[in-house]
Amino acid sequence: MSKYYLTLTILLFALFLSCGDDDNYTPMAETDDDPMMTDDDGGDTVDMGVTIDLTAVPFNTLSEYGFFDGSLANLTPNEGVLEYTLINKLFSDYSTKKRFIWMPEGVSATYEADDQLLVFPVGTIIIKNFFYDNVLPQNARQILETRLLINTADGWEFADYVWNEAQTEATYNLDGSNVDIMWELNGETRSVNYRIPNVTECQTCHKSGDTSIPIGPKPQNLNKDFTYTDGSTANQLDKWIEEGYLQSAPADINTLIDWLDTSAPLKDRVRNYFEVNCAHCHIDDGHCSYRPIRLDYTSSILDENLGVCVEPDEDLGNGLTHIIRPGNIQRSTLFFRLNTTAEESRMPLLGRTLIHEEAVTLLEDFINELDMECE
Amino acid sequence: MKKLLLYTSLLCIPLGMHAQQDCANAVPVTVGTYTVDGIDGEAPTPVCTTETTDQAGNGEWYIYTAPAGDDVFVTVTSDLEVNSGGDTRVQVYSGNCGNLNCIVGDDDAGNVGNGFLSVASFQAIAGESYYIAWDNRWSSAGFDFEISEADAPPPGQLTFTAQSTTTSGSRIAMVDMNGDYLDDLVSVSASNININYQLETGGFNTVNITTTNADNTPSWSLAAGDIDSNGYNDLLYGGGSGVTFMMANDDGTAYTEISGPEFVFSQRSNFVDLNNDGHLDAFVCHDIAPNVYYINDGDGNLTFYQGADPDGIPSGLGLVTNGGNYGTVWIDYDNDRDMDLFIAKCRGGNTDAKINELHRNNGDNTFTNIAGDSGVNLADPVQTWSSAWGDYDNDGDMDGYIGASSTSDGPTKYMRNNGDGTFTDISGSVDLSNTPLGIENAPADFDNDGHLDIFSNGQILLNGGDGLSFETITQTVPQSGAIGDANNDGFLDIFSNGLFLNDGNDNNWIKIVTVGDESNLNGIGARVEIVSPGLGTQIRDVRSGEGFRYMSSLNTHFGLGQDEEIETVTVHWPSGIITVVEDPDINDTLVIFEDENLGVDDITGNDLKVFPNPAENVINLETPIELNNAIYSVFTVDGKRVLNARLENTTIIDVSNLATGNYFIRILQDNKTYVQQFLKK
Repeated sequence: MSKYYLTLTILLFALFLSCGDDDNYTPMAETDDDPMMTDDDGGDTVDMGVTIDLTAVPFNTLSEYGFFDGSLANLTPNEGVLEYTLINKLFSDYSTKKRFIWMPEGVSATYEADDQLLVFPVGTIIIKNFFYDNVLPQNARQILETRLLINTADGWEFADYVWNEAQTEATYNLDGSNVDIMWELNGETRSVNYRIPNVTECQTCHKSGDTSIPIGPKPQNLNKDFTYTDGSTANQLDKWIEEGYLQSAPADINTLIDWLDTSAPLKDRVRNYFEVNCAHCHIDDGHCSYRPIRLDYTSSILDENLGVCVEPDEDLGNGLTHIIRPGNIQRSTLFFRLNTTAEESRMPLLGRTLIHEEAVTLLEDFINELDMECE
Repeated sequence: MKKLLLYTSLLCIPLGMHAQQDCANAVPVTVGTYTVDGIDGEAPTPVCTTETTDQAGNGEWYIYTAPAGDDVFVTVTSDLEVNSGGDTRVQVYSGNCGNLNCIVGDDDAGNVGNGFLSVASFQAIAGESYYIAWDNRWSSAGFDFEISEADAPPPGQLTFTAQSTTTSGSRIAMVDMNGDYLDDLVSVSASNININYQLETGGFNTVNITTTNADNTPSWSLAAGDIDSNGYNDLLYGGGSGVTFMMANDDGTAYTEISGPEFVFSQRSNFVDLNNDGHLDAFVCHDIAPNVYYINDGDGNLTFYQGADPDGIPSGLGLVTNGGNYGTVWIDYDNDRDMDLFIAKCRGGNTDAKINELHRNNGDNTFTNIAGDSGVNLADPVQTWSSAWGDYDNDGDMDGYIGASSTSDGPTKYMRNNGDGTFTDISGSVDLSNTPLGIENAPADFDNDGHLDIFSNGQILLNGGDGLSFETITQTVPQSGAIGDANNDGFLDIFSNGLFLNDGNDNNWIKIVTVGDESNLNGIGARVEIVSPGLGTQIRDVRSGEGFRYMSSLNTHFGLGQDEEIETVTVHWPSGIITVVEDPDINDTLVIFEDENLGVDDITGNDLKVFPNPAENVINLETPIELNNAIYSVFTVDGKRVLNARLENTTIIDVSNLATGNYFIRILQDNKTYVQQFLKK
């Protein structure tokens, strides 16, 4: 046997990304004579504030879009950029998010069903900023990334902007990276190796079949009051209609409850948590639709779709006999998968490296409360 | 004496003495029914159960002694109507309290109630004592159990015995790590490689080798191969966001980490010589993007590629944008002596990402996905994470067991190779109704009967002999694991959450180690073929990376049944070299070196004529030999194989892509090789 020693190095080859050539963008200068539009109900003219050449996106930097007024890190929306929130939000390693939406002049989304995504017009940009508060040692807010979903003529495209340390700018990057964060949460020092996703990770959750889609903005998850930067409070769907961002919505919407609402029944809380944390894969035509559970809020009303007394396809051993075994968390695969950080076992598969302790507690209470016998 | 002790103990129980609280005070039991009041004594260790391996907090101890005279088959069960709704776990040991050895354990084999009761059976040697310990892994509540005796099972029934090992980290590989051709046990954590080196004298030498804190751990898969040909296998960790290589140093005592910066959502990983340059390359399934591979230039560089790349593999190896690549295995399905690639694919929804792929190696550094070609029948949406490929009917070609992980897009497919590059779906004519769903499927001959079995998710599908029927063996079989020979007895063992030693039988066997020279040192990609009088021809491919997660032995194992001799062992090396060994010793390990001159003598001269010579775009073959669909290979004068394929009823070979120079063409027909030289203009 020949014995020689080789020093191996890995040569890097740039992975070609499909989301646009970031060297060839044409930023639109913001000027005082930006197009004006007539407000739907008042007839007053308002400065739209933001105009984006959709043939030139994604831009190289976040500031080029002009979404925000003043210091970028304040995330103060310009006119026409609408902040919104969701009743239930995806857990992303305890990071906090600020969401905004922008649409070009003269177009609006349409309502399809309470539990279906709004149908957004071409040109819509959904903006989601991820940050931690009380980041150590400064005990300050640190914004890590701003993810954009841009609805182009060819469908939704992903763009991600990674913030610099000075918090003055965020730069286009869909290659994915990790950031070590230590922060204080409820008086406790916590740490995470925070994952900024690359484009394939974005697509893994944001899709139906092979088609890229948003996840959060469904009428059932938007239908709540929100206090805007001008101090006014309004129902978000009403506000979107008022702003011309939504054509119409029924008055009576089957609305999610906040999964943290301890006054609600445990099953309802669990279903609400699953809707936004699990259903993007465990839904018809989702990434994991070949598994028996269906965790969207509408489907999960059936115990069978929640996995109660359903045997898992994959036997993980460890005595895990059912997806949910009533009264027995140790025999429940779903509990095991939410209560681990091992990347080959944890659920959700992406976007989580820490255990969501409050959710695990809820799930434990829910499973322990179930008392039916499995066949 | 024993009887007296038994009666004494029984008397003690109602008095609340709790004599069964620990091993030393185990209560003697014999055939009959016993009541456990509750579990609050000393916890049994080691844990022998294969489904659950975590420690319990408490236990209750009993001791059973087989009657003198005959061996008996003992069953210990809590699967009684009176216990309906209960949840028990039991461990059975031989030895003594200071040195307990697992015999068997069971968690949930019962059927009564919720099915969480336990049934454990074992063969007890006449007069020997066995400890029976119930633990409270699930419940401390009391229950009844029963002990019964029956005649011993027929010899040869496949069983495994759990053996305790000292490991740390994820138990993931059974492969030789120190170049002595004995399979070692490998367990990995981020900054440690735990190796149980198998000793020639039996047992293990446990060594922990500290590494740098690896960027990626083998959470999804591990592969082993000797990248730098230094005699010590290197490791590939397939992690959820990247790939790490751990390179063994020149005496195998330390490992150097090389982690690429590229994002890879790894699934199955393999080592194989992708471009047939004699250097081992690495391949990694990408869950959510086109597959990636690392080309080894043999000179210090591993280069990362993803998808089709003119400098890597121009055709790519699985290009679907959203991936869906879970389990790859490198096989020679068309018997043209180069490695083809089957990709077991999985993905929800309406997407190409779930359609399985079979990439034919065209012998010229390109591959073509022919799964959907007429007659191939492999472009199937079955949701699968791995497939077990082997010659289950011993007719000389690789058949495919495409194990379903879910039946949402169809059940498990069992595809018989027709020997002409096409497959017939025989799932309907073979009873697969008892086969499990799951992510791990790998072939191995566990009972050494000369007929390949399938290890699938807690079951061994024992080949009935013709590849058309499988008996499912579940008892004592672990859920999954690496396959190899941990005690060098010629019977294949399993290593995962424990070491499960095959109890063996009286069948014969041979293990073959392929040591490459022109080819990669491990001989990965070689086709090994043996001929024995009763069983005829058996074949294997040398593969690194089978099933989904684990790394199994690189030694090639054959069962021989009752055959007492092997007529020939033939190795078709990836280089094109053919080695034949006649009449090797059986029940032993045969090490075959590629550079030993045991090759087939080439036939030169007028038996094969090539024209025009010099050639421009094509060469024509003229020969009195029956060519049919013979394999042709074109070699450079340095011996590098640059073209390799079957003639497919033509006598004209396209050489237009070859560089100017001298070449040899070789025709392989009926184990004879005919060679002629030609010049490419």
